[in-house]
Amino acid sequence: MTFLTPLLAGIAAAVAVPTLLILYFLKLRRRDVEVSTTLLWKQAIQDMQANAPFQRLRRNILLLLQLLALAGALLALAQPEIRGELTPGQELVLIIDRSASMQSTDGSPDDPRARQTRLDRAKAQALEMVDAMKEPGLLGSAGDRAMLIAFDTSADILTTFTASKAELRRLINDISATDSPSSFAEAFKLAKAHLRRRIHIDDREGGKAVTFDEQTEGGALVHLFSDGRIPDLSTIRAQREDQVVYHRVGRSDAWNLGIVSVRAERDFNTPSSVSVFVAVQSTSRRARTVDVQLSLDGRVVAVRPVELPAAQTVTAAGATGPDAAAPTDAVQTLVPSVRGAVFELSRAEGASITVQLRHPDVGLPEGTLTGEDLPDPLGVDDVAYVILPPARRLSIAMVSEGNFFLTRLLRSMNLARPLQVVPPSQAQAFIESKDLATYDLVVLDRWLPTRTVDGTPTLTLPPGRSLVLGAIPAPPLGLTDQGEAGATVALNWRRDHPTLRAASLENLIVNKGRKSVLPDNVGGATVVLAEGQDGPLIIEAADITRSAIITTFDPVQSNWVFQSGYPLFLVKAVEYLSRGGIGEDALTVRPGSTLTQRLPQDAREISMTLPDSARVPLVQSDAGDVNFGPVADVGIYTLAWQGTPGPQDATDGTTNRRTVAANLADPAESDLASADSIALASKVVQAQGDAQPLGARRLWPWLVLVALAVLMIEWWVYNRRVAF
Amino acid sequence: MIKLTTPTRPTRLDELLDARFVARLSALDLTSRKVLAGKMKGERRSKRRGESVEFADHRQYVVGDDLRHIDWNIFGRLDRLFLKLFLEEEDLALHIVIDASASSDCGEPSKFLLMQRLCVALGYIGLVNLHRVSVTAIAGLALGPDGQPTPQLMSSVRDLRGGRRLADLGRFMLQLTPGGPASFTEACKRIAIARRGKGVMLVMSDFFHKEGYETGLRLLVGRGFDVYALQVLSPQELEPDIAGDLRLKDCEDADLTDLTITAPLLKKYKQTLAAYCSRLRDFCAAREIIMQTIPSSVQPDVVVLDYLRRKGLVQ
Repeated sequence: MTFLTPLLAGIAAAVAVPTLLILYFLKLRRRDVEVSTTLLWKQAIQDMQANAPFQRLRRNILLLLQLLALAGALLALAQPEIRGELTPGQELVLIIDRSASMQSTDGSPDDPRARQTRLDRAKAQALEMVDAMKEPGLLGSAGDRAMLIAFDTSADILTTFTASKAELRRLINDISATDSPSSFAEAFKLAKAHLRRRIHIDDREGGKAVTFDEQTEGGALVHLFSDGRIPDLSTIRAQREDQVVYHRVGRSDAWNLGIVSVRAERDFNTPSSVSVFVAVQSTSRRARTVDVQLSLDGRVVAVRPVELPAAQTVTAAGATGPDAAAPTDAVQTLVPSVRGAVFELSRAEGASITVQLRHPDVGLPEGTLTGEDLPDPLGVDDVAYVILPPARRLSIAMVSEGNFFLTRLLRSMNLARPLQVVPPSQAQAFIESKDLATYDLVVLDRWLPTRTVDGTPTLTLPPGRSLVLGAIPAPPLGLTDQGEAGATVALNWRRDHPTLRAASLENLIVNKGRKSVLPDNVGGATVVLAEGQDGPLIIEAADITRSAIITTFDPVQSNWVFQSGYPLFLVKAVEYLSRGGIGEDALTVRPGSTLTQRLPQDAREISMTLPDSARVPLVQSDAGDVNFGPVADVGIYTLAWQGTPGPQDATDGTTNRRTVAANLADPAESDLASADSIALASKVVQAQGDAQPLGARRLWPWLVLVALAVLMIEWWVYNRRVAF
Repeated sequence: MIKLTTPTRPTRLDELLDARFVARLSALDLTSRKVLAGKMKGERRSKRRGESVEFADHRQYVVGDDLRHIDWNIFGRLDRLFLKLFLEEEDLALHIVIDASASSDCGEPSKFLLMQRLCVALGYIGLVNLHRVSVTAIAGLALGPDGQPTPQLMSSVRDLRGGRRLADLGRFMLQLTPGGPASFTEACKRIAIARRGKGVMLVMSDFFHKEGYETGLRLLVGRGFDVYALQVLSPQELEPDIAGDLRLKDCEDADLTDLTITAPLLKKYKQTLAAYCSRLRDFCAAREIIMQTIPSSVQPDVVVLDYLRRKGLVQ
């Protein structure tokens, strides 16, 4: 036990105790009364003294009680504390996991039937910690301050360091769970960034070196309130002085069935037939059966039972923990079982598909419950959505002198009508004809139409969608060509772009490229997808009427044509362009990430309808993108706008709609077993027990209560003595 | 219990004995449980054979007897000389002992005032019935040679007889100033030594004597008095009305006692008082002393006409 303000209490004691004693002596001065005889009184007093035990105590019991009450009050004034983990003036970082798995209803450790969510439990623990925070002392000593961070995929600082408990309580209570997976790295970085640093000043002239510890004492005390199901823990490097305290919530024997993957694909040859693949993961140690229910636009069309075997525990012998000094023994890992279900549908139009897990209704057994007895604690991964675009075949025209490889590739793409190949000599006429509008896409192989701008002929993009190989259109929708350049490699490229996701540029060597630069005033309409030594290698350019993917180098002049990435790039580029700049899986989004959609440039009155029917107005960027995020909940997000629709958007003439599905579909997040420890890259943090005393317990309110109680006893004793 | 700073002091006799009370007292006479020898001719039957009209006994004539008392009728029948004896009627000695110590002067109404009134009332009864009345005050203040009141052991007035002496009795009572410590045993010893003849003795006191009342009472009884004891206590002594942290000062010997009045202490005090009175009563009963405890708040006529009549002192 320590005292926060012993000096104040000492001064008060030095004044109060003698004062009380003096008062008591004053009180002992008695009133003189002359009586007929003291004979009987003396006898009465003698009798009482002879009969009463603890005479000496009794004589001064009021003084003793008053001294006790005073001692209680003085001790309270000294603000004693029972020391827990906290040290004076500590700065705490409270990091609360609000990811999807925290919605699990196994938060209450004592009463499994209570169905308290893990987040509620974590919030309760965090509130306890806030309550235990030391308040600033009466003589100005610093109190504890806490910073509050909530994280799922991203992290939010709810408040930087504050000593206001009311504020912290309010903010903690306001935290609500999202449907996002968890990622601790950002939260930890934020926490570290806000902690004070140690400053070392080497004052040579003064002859002494001074180290200022800007932080009051100790290292960062990071309290993590989580179930420990965080995939990126191993990337976090905690330093030696960083103390990470992990407060575990949830049951380590919790099980869960969840949809970890869902995908709808049209048959290549008959696009109206659709296959829906659903993968269900079980982390239960029992074999379980679940009904997978498929709904099309809200109507149930199929239910299929899926039998999931029990998850197996695998013992990895001799595994070494991240602490090199402490090799851990055999590590038991639970390998979830995954089973799939396939639904065959026939549907040419677009649809939104909902897949749902239907658990058999079993009551809770009597007696002590294990985690396996409880119902599936997490509901958010029991449902998944897929947006099925309408079945469509492409019509493609190609301008080329004859490219055997390209022709074969495009012809194999199951086109709506045979590939139209136009030689460059007739291309200019073809581009200017009305014929062009009947094609979804034009592939321009080392050729671009010429237009005379200000008296000089310049290469420009044709109207509509085009894939340009080995030619550079001039600005504004293009690059400034600066002539031929030598060999180059791809230095940097957008790995997340739909066209390049499958096509690695790692081994690309361009034998003969062209030197080009992106003009400054182009803005967002032209995006560099890949960059070489002499300028962009691949760009994407779009305005209201035109959109194009352009390779500035001739693929034939590189080794790309011999790599598997090239045909993948071509196919993805064709699909990407034909969908109007929407990537293959752009219609699905993961909670926690940002939903980005490219809309036609003339889109107006754009709004987003959320799964809970709320409407959010959105603004289009210069590049034609609209962004919404981070997406918090799973469900269907509907984007509505006025203007031209994209090639695959539903439209009723005035309003165009595009739906995007948000699914958790995260195997790690669906594994609910609460972790006993979290293994950071630099250390392993064991979970704190649920009932661990969290910090400094302030005792002064109790002492004040004791003083009050003693005063009441004193009053009672006094009244008993003087009452007639 | 608490000593009053300005006690009521009667200044005239009729403040002690008003006319209506006198009228009721005139019908009373003193009695004694014992037949005692008197000193002078009086109205009470004496132990002695004397010259009243009431026949008592016969006895044989011896030479020298008064021939006037020979029963000639018996001589005629039996031819022997018998003497007729008659009962003698003599007076009764009434001795009133009044405690005039400082402790008597306490209480509201004052214990001493009641004792004064009782003393005058009983003295009046005795005087008008031609008894010899003596009054002794234990302790009390008297004017010393320097004009200052000084404590004295006792003072008394003796052998008053006849209604005319009531004024003397009243004067004595009115000049009596209570005060000073009582030396009960010593005073009783003096009274016992100085007694003349036997008679009825009434001792009025609170009997709160630190030296003890036993020796004194034993001395009085041992000299053949028919002793009555009247314990006068003030209402404040019976039900104390003091509170708080007090230093009690004994008004006689200035003895100090520190105490805090509490409910258990008051309870204990009452128990102690009851035990004290009970012990006194037992002591008196064992020595044929008629004892009565009265509060100073009762009226003197109630004491005389009710309590003392029932106890047989007056009839």
